[in-house]
Amino acid sequence: MNKYFPHIRTLHLYIGLFLSPLIIIFSISVLVLNHTEFLKQVSPVRVLPDTQTHLDSIPNDTSDLVTAKLIIAKLGIKGEIEHIQRNADQISFPVSLPGLRSIVKVDQHTNEVLITRQNEGSLRVTGYLHKMPGPHNVKIRGNSELIKNWTIWADAFVYLLIFLSASGIFLWYFLKAERSMGIYAIILGVISFACLLFLLFK
Amino acid sequence: MKYSVFFKGLAYWNRRLHIHIGLFLLLFIWLFSFSGLLLNHSSWDFASFWEQRKETKTVSNISVPKGLDSLQTVKKIMLNLNISGEISNLKMTPDSVDFRVSVPGHIRNLHVDFNKGICIQNELRYNFWGKIKTLHTFNAANRENPALGANWLVSKIWIFSMDAIAIGLIYLCISSWIMWYNIRKSYRWGTIVLITGFAVVIYFLFILGML
Repeated sequence: MNKYFPHIRTLHLYIGLFLSPLIIIFSISVLVLNHTEFLKQVSPVRVLPDTQTHLDSIPNDTSDLVTAKLIIAKLGIKGEIEHIQRNADQISFPVSLPGLRSIVKVDQHTNEVLITRQNEGSLRVTGYLHKMPGPHNVKIRGNSELIKNWTIWADAFVYLLIFLSASGIFLWYFLKAERSMGIYAIILGVISFACLLFLLFK
Repeated sequence: MKYSVFFKGLAYWNRRLHIHIGLFLLLFIWLFSFSGLLLNHSSWDFASFWEQRKETKTVSNISVPKGLDSLQTVKKIMLNLNISGEISNLKMTPDSVDFRVSVPGHIRNLHVDFNKGICIQNELRYNFWGKIKTLHTFNAANRENPALGANWLVSKIWIFSMDAIAIGLIYLCISSWIMWYNIRKSYRWGTIVLITGFAVVIYFLFILGML
C-alpha cells in the first residue's frame, strides 16, 4: 500500500486545490440557506421595474415547457424555467439566471406580457446553485444550458469530494504520529453524528 | 528568526488541524454528499421514497385548556400527545387549531376541534432514503414567515451543526492552500489548478448572470 502513497497524496492535493473554491461556495450557500433573515438585512433583494410588452402569437399546440421556452426566446430572456403554471387565461413561469429572477406572465387572450424582475445578489446565487437541480420539477429541470452544465459539475463535485475524504483517510493512516489523535477525532465525529441523529429521530 | 519559528509553528498546527477536523467531519461529509446525490437524482429507483411513504390517520380525544395563545395551545397539545418536532403552518380560530409538526422523514398534520374535543392526526412517514434526503434539507425554514425561525431545540442544534460543518469545510480549504503554499515548489501545477477552480466558480456565480 505504501507505494501508492505519493500518487494518492498528489491526487489529494491537486483535486483538493481544484475543488476548494467550489467547497467554499457550497459552504457559504449553507449559511445563506440557513439564515435567510440575516441575508435579507445584509443583501436585500432589489426589485427592478416591471416590463410590459406584447407578443404577436403564442404557440399553444405544444407542451407547456416548449411554449414557455418559445415565449422567453421571443422576449430575449435567458435562464432556467423553474416551473410553469397554466390555466385558460394565463401562462406564468419564473425564469432564473444566477442573480436575476424574472417572472413572466402572459395573458392567453390578449397576448399581453408582464415581466417582473428582481436582482437577488451574489450570495443568493450560491443558495440557488446549491439547490439545483434538486428533487423538484424533475420533468422540466435542466431546460437551460446553465443547469445542464451545473448538474454535471454538481455531480462531479460530490464524487470528487467523496474521493478527497477517502484519500484523506488513506493518507492519515500512514502518518503514525497522527494516528492515535486521528482515531479520537473519528470517534468524536461518530459520537456527535450519532447523538444528532438520535435527537432528530427519537 | 522569531517570525520563522512562528510560521513553522503555525504550519505545524495548521496541518494537524486540517487532518483532525477532516477526520471529525468525515461522516457529516459523507451524509451530505450521498444525500446531495440522492436529491439531484430523483429517478434513482432504489432511493425512491415518495411512492413508498406511509400515510396514517388517527383520531383521539383531547382536552385543551382555554385562554392560551396559539403557540401555548399547540405546545400543550403536543405535550398531551407526547410528540415533538418543528411546528409550522399554524392556523388558529376560536373553534379549532391546525398545525404541522415535522421531524426529518416524519410529518404530522394535526387538526384539533376544541368544541368536540378531538384531534385528527394525518401522519406521513418516509422510508430510510426519504429520511436521508430530508436530513439534507431540514433547516426549519418557514416559507410563510421566515422571521419566525426554528422553534424546536433539536432543529436549532441541527442548524448550528450544519453551520459548523460549513465553517469547518471553509477552514479545510484555507488550510489546504497554506499547506500547498509551503510545498509549492514540489507541486508546481498547484497555482494553475487553484486558478482553474476559481475560474469555474466565477463563471457560474458571475459571468453566466452577466451574459
